[in-house]
Amino acid sequence: MARNLYLHIPFCDTRCPYCDFAIHIGGDHLHQAYVEAVIRELEFLAAGGRPEDGLDTVYLGGGTPGLLAPSLLEQLLAAVVQRFGIAQGAEITIEANPTGLTEELARTWLDLGINRLSLGVQSLDDRALRWLGRNHDSETAAAALDAAIRAGLENISCDLIYAVPVQPTSVFATGLQRLLGSSPQHVSCYELTVEPATPLARSVAKRLVSAPRERDFLEQHRLAREILEQAGLRQYEVSNYARPGHESRHNLSYWQGRHYLAAGCGAHGFVDLAAAGGLRLPIDVGAVGVRYWNLRSAATYVKQVDALGHGRKGHEAIDCAQAELERLACGLRLRTGVELNVPGQLKQAERLAQLGLLTIAGQRVVATPRGFEVLDRLTLELVSGEPVRALA
Amino acid sequence: MASQATSRIRNFSIIAHIDHGKSTLADRLLELTGTVSARDLTEQMLDTMDLERERGITIKAQAVRMTYQAKDGQTYEFNLIDTPGHVDFAYEVSRALAACEGALLVVDASQGIEAQTLANVYKALELGLEIVPVVNKIDLPQADPELVREEIARVIGIPAERSILASARTGEGVDRILEAVVTALPAPGGDPEAPLQALIFDCKYDAYRGVVVYVRVVEGRLQPGTQIRMMASQGTFTVDEVGIFRPAMVAVGELTAGEVGYLIASIRNVRDSKVGDTITEVFRPTKEPLPGYRQVSPMVWAGLFPVDGDDYPGLKEALDRLQLNDAALTFEPETSAALGFGFRCGFLGLLHMEIVQERLEREFQLNLITTAPSVAYRVTLRNGQAVEIDNPDQLPEVGLIETIAEPRVKLEIVLPREHLGGIMELCQDRRGEFVQLEYQPPGERALLTYDLPLGEIIHDFYDQLKSRSRGYASMDYQLTGYRAEQLVKLDVLVAGAKVDALSIIVHRQQSSNQGRKLVQRLREVIPRQLFEVAIQAAIGGKVIARETVPALRKDVLAKCYGGDITRKRKLLEKQREGKQRMKRVGSVEIPQEAFMAVLSLDR
Repeated sequence: MARNLYLHIPFCDTRCPYCDFAIHIGGDHLHQAYVEAVIRELEFLAAGGRPEDGLDTVYLGGGTPGLLAPSLLEQLLAAVVQRFGIAQGAEITIEANPTGLTEELARTWLDLGINRLSLGVQSLDDRALRWLGRNHDSETAAAALDAAIRAGLENISCDLIYAVPVQPTSVFATGLQRLLGSSPQHVSCYELTVEPATPLARSVAKRLVSAPRERDFLEQHRLAREILEQAGLRQYEVSNYARPGHESRHNLSYWQGRHYLAAGCGAHGFVDLAAAGGLRLPIDVGAVGVRYWNLRSAATYVKQVDALGHGRKGHEAIDCAQAELERLACGLRLRTGVELNVPGQLKQAERLAQLGLLTIAGQRVVATPRGFEVLDRLTLELVSGEPVRALA
Repeated sequence: MASQATSRIRNFSIIAHIDHGKSTLADRLLELTGTVSARDLTEQMLDTMDLERERGITIKAQAVRMTYQAKDGQTYEFNLIDTPGHVDFAYEVSRALAACEGALLVVDASQGIEAQTLANVYKALELGLEIVPVVNKIDLPQADPELVREEIARVIGIPAERSILASARTGEGVDRILEAVVTALPAPGGDPEAPLQALIFDCKYDAYRGVVVYVRVVEGRLQPGTQIRMMASQGTFTVDEVGIFRPAMVAVGELTAGEVGYLIASIRNVRDSKVGDTITEVFRPTKEPLPGYRQVSPMVWAGLFPVDGDDYPGLKEALDRLQLNDAALTFEPETSAALGFGFRCGFLGLLHMEIVQERLEREFQLNLITTAPSVAYRVTLRNGQAVEIDNPDQLPEVGLIETIAEPRVKLEIVLPREHLGGIMELCQDRRGEFVQLEYQPPGERALLTYDLPLGEIIHDFYDQLKSRSRGYASMDYQLTGYRAEQLVKLDVLVAGAKVDALSIIVHRQQSSNQGRKLVQRLREVIPRQLFEVAIQAAIGGKVIARETVPALRKDVLAKCYGGDITRKRKLLEKQREGKQRMKRVGSVEIPQEAFMAVLSLDR
């Protein structure tokens, strides 16, 4: 039974040119209707079962869920409690941007039971922030972080983007140090990726802006690890750092292959076969679980939920071979690594260990820092130790 | 002397350079004689394989019988034998020509005669064929029919006025071609009552009927029930059916002297029906076989290996199937330390090799690694023993070798004289020895003859020839013999391990240059791995060139959040597909291009 729930809130003030998530610009008038639709979908999802001890994590992602009026958030969370229950000590995260984040707002969230904030700082360099098309500057970001801390939030994560072409490594490092001055519990460091069909991809194609450089990727990735680890934030996943005990439990559920429910436009859920039946998802023989995803457009989502009770657009039965590839691909991203079950995999692992890319302890393999940098290839090499037919 | 029975038969083929309009003219003849209605006419009627149509080449010979009502009021039986045009199939062409009394020489009115055409014309003249020149494509704006007529007169000695001006595309002049076939080409001779003597000029394998033998009856007659013997291969069979091509196979009561058609005789293997062999009757044999038969032997060899070792049985089966229809293809199992189990295959030439490779991949869905083609070397050992090797890796230890001899060819190139410098330079670079240069007045074109190693031709020579002559030069070659040379084996080491499939044999003088170029090229085509990969060229254990493929710097999707794990997995699956097209040699993954790198060394 899934104990993790993702709620997608697509609303944003502006579109950042690099973003390829399901978002909706403006549309304040849609907020109420949208939240009602998500609440209806939660009712639908409840047919898949109710976790005995309630949910362990709830993640309000986006978009910018922080833009929702507290009253709407309250309705939403009340529905979550009603349909699934929330466990004692659950992790309840909200994503927010610095703009408009006041101490008072943060306190309201705390009152609603939200105990973790993921703040979209992205950079502490104004030039980089402008290049990224963000609607805040470094002062606003710093102020927002301090406001959240003052409000009493004790589990704060900051998102940073590196390898921004206008942000040299030294500037990135200075920003990171400054951020650490506020002692966040968690930092996510993502490289800038040029996703297809984004405004950024078009600008790069037209040579209006330069593409991120491989050299910067590696340099800044390595520097971030060094600085953050020194500050006591451990790299527990390729791009995520936390003080011990503050790892994102919700995100770990993805990487550890656990089941998760999802509601809202563009959201992806992964459920076991028992739940799949309740959610009217077809059950394939031999499948180990079913992943489903919702319509990306907020407006269409609202309409479909109105008509069908859910916003589902597609689904995929995950078979053993696919699950195994996902288990390896995600598990290797973690500092805890992954267990290998196939003899061929272990043989490959030994070869990769000799190259300094893995360490092996019994059945468990863990990528080294260098291994993290070439993780996709590493995963494929491990997989190639299995009979190809079994995976094809 | 043509008898009454054969006086209204004309057997002919069409000699033309690629793109000079042979297939279009054949289509037009079929249409005008009513053999195929315009409605049923697909383009390039006689090229039946997809590959033939796509590449505009003829691989298998075809024959078709047409009936023509001539202006003299008589009805004639035409047998058109369509022949492969590429130098790889020179012997097959000569046998198809031997089945005819005449040939249409088709020359593009804007291009003039090309080297290969010339080679085939000489072949036809040697065989005593009557030639009717056709200057084709006269409707094109850049056509200069008179100039081409003069060229034909000069080069072949056929008076200019006898060249027919035509356009197969518009149909202009095609009626005159048909009349010329009647009036200018001789009828076949032959006595239907003499002992049987029939020439095999091709055959094909039919899954239901066994081998279909394409024959020209020279003397005697062939009927169902005739007991026949193949004079070279010695097989005896009983004829089940004889027939003609219209162009589909139509059974007839008999084929008599002068006629062209097919026979079916429960022959299981194309090897029992060798092109050029003479068929006679078991109980009343002819004394002499027809001249010109020779055993076809491969000129180039290459290893074919399945990328996925599990496909080995599939590759064997596919080669068996192709061989049913391709007597020139030879193969035997080969084991490579680098590439695993595969087959060493012999081909008539590079085109033949490409065709086989393409058909294996296309018709049998095999994913293959082909090693660089090699010629056969004759090695004399110190102990006097002689060995022939067609795989560089088989070369005995240097200490044991007395001499290594390589095959040489007489290469003829026809080219516009302004490109002469570049082409002569190419021939010199390829260790060619100048033989002669003739100008064909008024001095536009040159006929250049070189004596050079066959091995130099199979490595990127043709493409170079084309690029240095802006596409105008054409070539033809014949094997002349073997000559001992200062040859050495160049080995390639990838990540410290010798990759046997990358070894090549080169001339000592060129070895360091070639070695350097080869490792440079390999560095370009071998993708970055998880570790630094050294690529070295070595002769007899001494490294003469080295390049390094730097380690992969970064290959990770830093962003993997949100529940869309499906997307991440699909990206990995896609990358894995790419990996599966490569061959893992030791710890390094090597793509197909690497094994052919030697073919594209810019020398």
